[in-house]
Amino acid sequence: MYSLSDEQIDFILRDIKSRGVEMEDLQVSLLDHICCIMESELEPDGDFESFYRKTIPRFFKKELREIEEETILLLTFKNYYAMRKTMIITGITSTVGFTIGSFFKIMHWPGANVMLLLGIVVASLVFLPLLFILKTREANSSRDKIVLGVGTFFGILISLSTLFKILHWPYANIMWLTSLGILFFAFLPVYFFSGIRNPETKMNTVTSSMLVLLAGGLLFTITSLRPSKVVVMNSMHAYIQSEELLSRMQGQVSDSIAGTTLYSRINNDCQKIKGLILQYEIGMRSMPLKYENPDEGVFFTEGSLGGDFYDNGEGAKLISDLQDAVGKYNTARPNEQIPVSHSVLDIDMSKMGQYTNLSVLNGLVRIQMFLASAEK
Amino acid sequence: MYSSELIKGTLKTIVLKLLSDNQKMYGYEITQKVKDLTGDKIQLTEGALYPALHSLEAEGILSTEVVNIGKRVRKYYTLTKKGKSASEEKVSEFADFMNTMKFLLDIKPQVG
Repeated sequence: MYSLSDEQIDFILRDIKSRGVEMEDLQVSLLDHICCIMESELEPDGDFESFYRKTIPRFFKKELREIEEETILLLTFKNYYAMRKTMIITGITSTVGFTIGSFFKIMHWPGANVMLLLGIVVASLVFLPLLFILKTREANSSRDKIVLGVGTFFGILISLSTLFKILHWPYANIMWLTSLGILFFAFLPVYFFSGIRNPETKMNTVTSSMLVLLAGGLLFTITSLRPSKVVVMNSMHAYIQSEELLSRMQGQVSDSIAGTTLYSRINNDCQKIKGLILQYEIGMRSMPLKYENPDEGVFFTEGSLGGDFYDNGEGAKLISDLQDAVGKYNTARPNEQIPVSHSVLDIDMSKMGQYTNLSVLNGLVRIQMFLASAEK
Repeated sequence: MYSSELIKGTLKTIVLKLLSDNQKMYGYEITQKVKDLTGDKIQLTEGALYPALHSLEAEGILSTEVVNIGKRVRKYYTLTKKGKSASEEKVSEFADFMNTMKFLLDIKPQVG
């Protein structure tokens, strides 16, 4: 039996390290294994170095690092089932989450935004990355991996931009258009040309590419759905001018009339409701008169009354009080009635979501104008 | 010598069964034991053995014990409780597999 000296053991360990084995655990195991082989197979007067050179290739096909790579692969594979399970669960819950969230949003029920936020965030930041990791493991060529990578990136970006759009966060549009750009100019070409080369996948690739193109095209089509800035700005300026006109009209109402209970009650109700809507929409109780640039944060969404208006009940209570006051006013002054039908006062409380904030604001201003003009 | 493909699928079964019979063993010992028991017909490659041992350890099937031998360290592997049942499962699964393969490949039992 050959007896290894400490220097020889150090030599072997150094060689293992220099061959790229970095895991200490593995270095130790290999060192002991190689030492065992040498001690039992090398003649006591044998040549250490030449025997070592002959022994070491037993451990690998090309290079010693393969052992470490294989170990890492097996260690990550251990998580494979857990990852797959997580992927399936997050996939289902997030999809269900944002689908129900969308329905709530359409119905203006409370909790919609939370569900949308959680659903889309989980889908894009947990589900899609896991899907990518698991799929790249199955992918054979690096070309397939690129397709998966670009596809995943597109998926994450389009999901997040949808979320940003829904929640009216900044940069939603630039994200949306970037992701469509990635789809058309990066994903589709790579996907198409990598799939079409393989006769087995050729037909599938052509049909799926067409479907992706169709879906992407439709997404591009609805890009124009976003409310045009100019249109919204015009209606906002129209509303500001109505307010200005109202304040001039009110200036001409005599103090004795402005002091009457019914007059001030109707005006107060209108002001309070407008305040609620403005608070919700732009975070201020009244509209700033000098307003030019939507990027300063004062910008109306296509939002409508609904859950939030309803929820605390304040808005709805004020509206019914206003209905009552206007009713009394109209009975008292049959010749100067404030029109009720097809106005804000005619509102169907169960369908608040159908009234956009701007139309309600304008309706309230008009009630105040009728009031001011009649009292002259 | 059998092809490495055949051995690859049974490596873990072999290791677990050996450890359940021998309490604790270290890497080199495992390869030698297999060689002896099979008359050199099965030779575990180190390149496959160590990754398998590490992953079994990570799964909690094997526990290790480190012993210093002069300048170097030897890692002894033992089955954990979980490992003992895993070993039995693997062996019986493989026995079942062999029966199925015998039937599938129509291997006649040798008479005599």
